[in-house]
Amino acid sequence: MQILFFALRNFNRARTRTWITVGAMGFACGIMIFYASLLEGWLAGMEKNAVGMDLGEFQVHAHGFRADPDLYKRIAGQEQVLSLIGKEGFVAAPRLYASGLAAAGNASSGIELRGVDLAREGLVTALNEHVWQGQWLDGQDQAGVVLGRKLARILGLAVGDEVVVVAQAADGSTANELFRVRGILKSVAEGVDRSGFLMPASTFRRMMIVPDGAHAIVVKRQQATENLTQATARLARLLPGYEVCNWRQLQPVLARLFEMSDIALVIMLLITYAAVGILTLNALLMSVFERIPEFGVMKALGFSPWGLFAMIVAESLLQVTVAAGLALAAGLPLSLYFSTHPIDFSGFVQSSSTIAGVALDAKWYCVVTVNSVVLPILFLYLIAGLAILYPALKAAMLKPLDAIYHR
Amino acid sequence: MNRASFPACIFLALLVVGGGIFGLAGGAVSAPFPPSPDEQEARAILLEIDDLWRATSSQGRVRMEVKTANYTRTMLMDIWSKGKDKSLVRIVSPLKEKDTASLKTGNTMYTYLPKTDRTIRLTSSMMMSSWMGSHFTNDDLVKESQLAEDYNPRISFRGRRDGKEIIEFTLQPRPDAAVVWGRIVMSVTAQGHLPLLATYYDEDNALARTIYFSEVKNMGGRLLPALLKVVPTDKPGEYTELVYEAMRFDLDLPESLFSLLELRRR
Repeated sequence: MQILFFALRNFNRARTRTWITVGAMGFACGIMIFYASLLEGWLAGMEKNAVGMDLGEFQVHAHGFRADPDLYKRIAGQEQVLSLIGKEGFVAAPRLYASGLAAAGNASSGIELRGVDLAREGLVTALNEHVWQGQWLDGQDQAGVVLGRKLARILGLAVGDEVVVVAQAADGSTANELFRVRGILKSVAEGVDRSGFLMPASTFRRMMIVPDGAHAIVVKRQQATENLTQATARLARLLPGYEVCNWRQLQPVLARLFEMSDIALVIMLLITYAAVGILTLNALLMSVFERIPEFGVMKALGFSPWGLFAMIVAESLLQVTVAAGLALAAGLPLSLYFSTHPIDFSGFVQSSSTIAGVALDAKWYCVVTVNSVVLPILFLYLIAGLAILYPALKAAMLKPLDAIYHR
Repeated sequence: MNRASFPACIFLALLVVGGGIFGLAGGAVSAPFPPSPDEQEARAILLEIDDLWRATSSQGRVRMEVKTANYTRTMLMDIWSKGKDKSLVRIVSPLKEKDTASLKTGNTMYTYLPKTDRTIRLTSSMMMSSWMGSHFTNDDLVKESQLAEDYNPRISFRGRRDGKEIIEFTLQPRPDAAVVWGRIVMSVTAQGHLPLLATYYDEDNALARTIYFSEVKNMGGRLLPALLKVVPTDKPGEYTELVYEAMRFDLDLPESLFSLLELRRR
């Protein structure tokens, strides 16, 4: 209690120096809270595009389909599989895939045909809400298709235009149909943007002569509280005859990027706080050096070395706590503001930019998480704690007589 | 999704005979170094074979049977060719695909789709796709005349094999050639130089496919194998069979036959 009293008293003794130190720490910490929230937002945006728009949380395939996609490698009895998945507490949607060629005017391009279950797709992805121009698929409009953004540009297509598709149907015949562009998607992922050609599953089945089965079943947890790996294992046990992968396994590069982002945050914190640490060290050293005779008197009066050490540490921790309070007061509202008002990088980032095959959103939102707030503050305490060790130890080791007569 | 790929020289040997069976005669012109005596001899014999198959133009009817693990289908096609670079294939049956036509001019390939009444130009991304559900690819048709430019031939065997006097050629890719095959081995009869067998090896020197030539017949005044069977090594039980039902050579075919306008004609 006595130490805390002394620490509080000393906090106010060299006000200018104290507040400059506190201000620097608070500013750095506030900026880091904002940066961490922005990084969380960027990652959340990437995950939303990759998982929420395209991959889904899990995918189920027939064995061998992922290694060598084939029109004939289908999940037979898909309704039974969907029912099993549903009973286990997941939501799921089947998808159909085929490769083909789309042509409009003199332009043509290779495409990935995707048959979408319109009733179920919305349960596992938000792709239906990600339409840039026109409208999402409609079961009543069997000739209406939705295209990836780059594909539409390559073919020079706009909403309402006609496009012809050629592919090899399951019976070996040449499947060809005339479609009308109903919608064009916003940027999702490189694959979907460049070759995504979405149509109702019923249209796909009729054109490609695939009366039953599905090439993929996209699965999502109803409540995202269960660990991803555990949920994957549970699904795999449920469907032993199929390949079950979570999005991290489907997109290992992206998963690695997410893991690396935590390390990037820590490196950024260390670099920023290194400057703060040097400032704190300098301020505390000054504070210790100008009070050496005072410490000598205190020791002569019976103050123990560890008591002196604790007092200086308490002084510093007090400054860090005030700085953390200031950082929270500035950084948190700033981050919360930008969580609803995105920073628009459209002038710098192309709409088609991707990282690890996933579309990069030009509008960056902050996402405030426990991690984005607590981590910068914890690091501030850690760096400041390291910076005060030397001055505090120096004060603790002083000899009373030498200290009293120190000039 | 049928990914088997076959050099177009063989494809045209059966589908469009006017294209020349091995298309190697012109290769001597583009050789960067003077060919060895062995290579010269190989080229000379191949030129003879090429002359045997080549005509200024051709017309015929071909039946194609495709058997895969997932389907079996038979198609009847009318074919026309002029020189090495122009060919037209029009499907006669089945009814579902009747009048679907493929036109090749130089390195460009177009397909006419009667159902949608559209003509599309095939892009590079579609080149390795199956042609009409067969074990041929679109690339086989387009690159038919490039074998001579991409491979160096030499005689690798001359003698008796399986009761027949044969000559075997081995085609090795030129160092700078961007090709699919690591090696092609072709056997022809010593007398008459009629093709018997062609084997295709990948870059790891593993056998990828075999083409069998048989049922030699006189067609259009030429003695030619009327049956060609393509067997992919990695797909047991699968094959594509081409049967020449009729062929005529050296006809006066108009240039307009190989136009986009003619492609759409039903």
